[in-house]
Amino acid sequence: MTDATVSASSSATSIMPRLRLRAAEPWLYLAPAMAVVLIWTYVPLLQAFELSFYEWNMLPRSQPRFVGLENYANLLTLPDMRQAVINTILYTAGLLPLSVGVPLAVALLTARLGGPLRNFYRALIFVPMIVAPVVAAIIWRWLLNEDHGLVNAWLRGFGFDTVGFLRDPDVALWTLVWITGWKLVGFSTLLFAAADSAISPSYIEAARMDGATPWQIVRDIRLPLLSPTILLLTMMTILFGAQWSFVYINALTGGGPLRSTTNVYFLMWEYGFKTMAAGWSTAAGVLVFAVFGLIALLCLALMKRFAVYDE
Amino acid sequence: MTSNIRFGRAGAHGVMIGLSLLAIFPVYWMVQTSFRPENEMFSTGLWPAAPTLDNYRAVVTAMPIFAIIWNTVLMAGATTLAQVATGLLAAWALVRWRFPGGRLAHSLIALSWLVPFQVVMIPNYVLATKLGLLDSITGLVVPNAAAAIAVLVLYNAMRGFPREVIEAARMDGASGFRTLMEIVVPNLRAPIASISILCFISAWNDYFWPLLLIRRIENSVVQIGLQFFMTQEGNDWGLLMAAATLASLPIFLIYLALQRQVVQSFMKSGIR
Repeated sequence: MTDATVSASSSATSIMPRLRLRAAEPWLYLAPAMAVVLIWTYVPLLQAFELSFYEWNMLPRSQPRFVGLENYANLLTLPDMRQAVINTILYTAGLLPLSVGVPLAVALLTARLGGPLRNFYRALIFVPMIVAPVVAAIIWRWLLNEDHGLVNAWLRGFGFDTVGFLRDPDVALWTLVWITGWKLVGFSTLLFAAADSAISPSYIEAARMDGATPWQIVRDIRLPLLSPTILLLTMMTILFGAQWSFVYINALTGGGPLRSTTNVYFLMWEYGFKTMAAGWSTAAGVLVFAVFGLIALLCLALMKRFAVYDE
Repeated sequence: MTSNIRFGRAGAHGVMIGLSLLAIFPVYWMVQTSFRPENEMFSTGLWPAAPTLDNYRAVVTAMPIFAIIWNTVLMAGATTLAQVATGLLAAWALVRWRFPGGRLAHSLIALSWLVPFQVVMIPNYVLATKLGLLDSITGLVVPNAAAAIAVLVLYNAMRGFPREVIEAARMDGASGFRTLMEIVVPNLRAPIASISILCFISAWNDYFWPLLLIRRIENSVVQIGLQFFMTQEGNDWGLLMAAATLASLPIFLIYLALQRQVVQSFMKSGIR
């Protein structure tokens, strides 16, 4: 079945099916991946869109009932949804310093660090990235425990009041932001450090010869050349930050106290699998997907426009 | 100027030491708590005065932890194999041929990671129920048998493969599949190993889909087993930390053995 033997042996009658087979060949290789992506992502996406116009309690024997735009109308007027949207913004805003700000500052401050210790630090700061989210949840639940946790023991030791990290509605969301960020901060630092060390030293040398101060070098050379990484990490945080927090919401607070840690993804989960309101859940999903899709397009456009590449 | 640099270097070490401690101390605290006897649980000392394996003994009797770890090894291993296989085939199709619909297929695969799982969870759950995939390891693997990131990484790796070699193989009459298996794959060992590590760790740490699918603790994977255990045992910290330590052990061992490769594979393939 090779090209050479076929061209020698094929007769005029077998050329047509042969051509068709050749056109199909790449699709044979694509088929497994495409099948998975279509069956488990794109078809469900369309089904979710369809379901968002129905009322259905997900029981196998019950029939979905068409309700038009009612689910959307309900969602948009519900205080639950408003609170979840605000919280989603808080999660994202809270994560940005941990996934972009601090790592960028650390990478810039430690850029000139060399030697064997550097690799040792790098090996350590990466560790949270591979800690399973549930394990991270358990660890921090113990460290931040109100009565016996180490952090509160330290606070007491320094004469402060103990903090209900997961029980105080004003604090709980920030605790979850912190745990989400704890997993990311080292990894982001490594990404920035890698991008920073790829900057040609001759630029910095030339600037120094011209009498540029270290801050001028950061502002005019290193930050612009780091902008692709900055924009990428910012985009990832905006698009996925609220999703990364889901595990911690579900494992640690269940959306409480007083719904203070519920974000849109947790709301969808609650509607879907706690209150069994498939229509509400999918309607919220469609709205969220539409909004984040627009944000993604916007981010990509911004990246094309503002990122500076060293050519 | 020189004193400035020296101070900068000390400061840089200080910053890195601080960040390292922040990263590693919580993990250390988990491990040392798992060795604490009951009466030392609430002490704030850095290491238990009388370390014990009691918590581990208790975990082994309280939950089928080894069965759960084995389930997770199976699930993560099968998922990795499937993702690398489907990724290799799809990437090969996109690199070897130019054909109508190829770019669309490429975009569809690449954009699939933008769809949040929570948006498609209900249709997925309904489909899994219909297919009888609930509460099974197969059910955990099947929807994850292809990953956008695997296709993209392998696609980039293959595109860097010298075109002339592929053409020469075709001239010699090698079929597309033979060229892939005998010429391309052996030369892509490094990227394949790198994406395998990423796929394995991601599958091991996956949470949401097992959460929907798994009903009984003996069928669960570590993430869900730990979650069950956390709800059940609430505040028995020694027990919880021992379970969490055991559940993390395989990934930590991989990291100890392949630290450089693990970090590289995460850095090359992004965050998700």
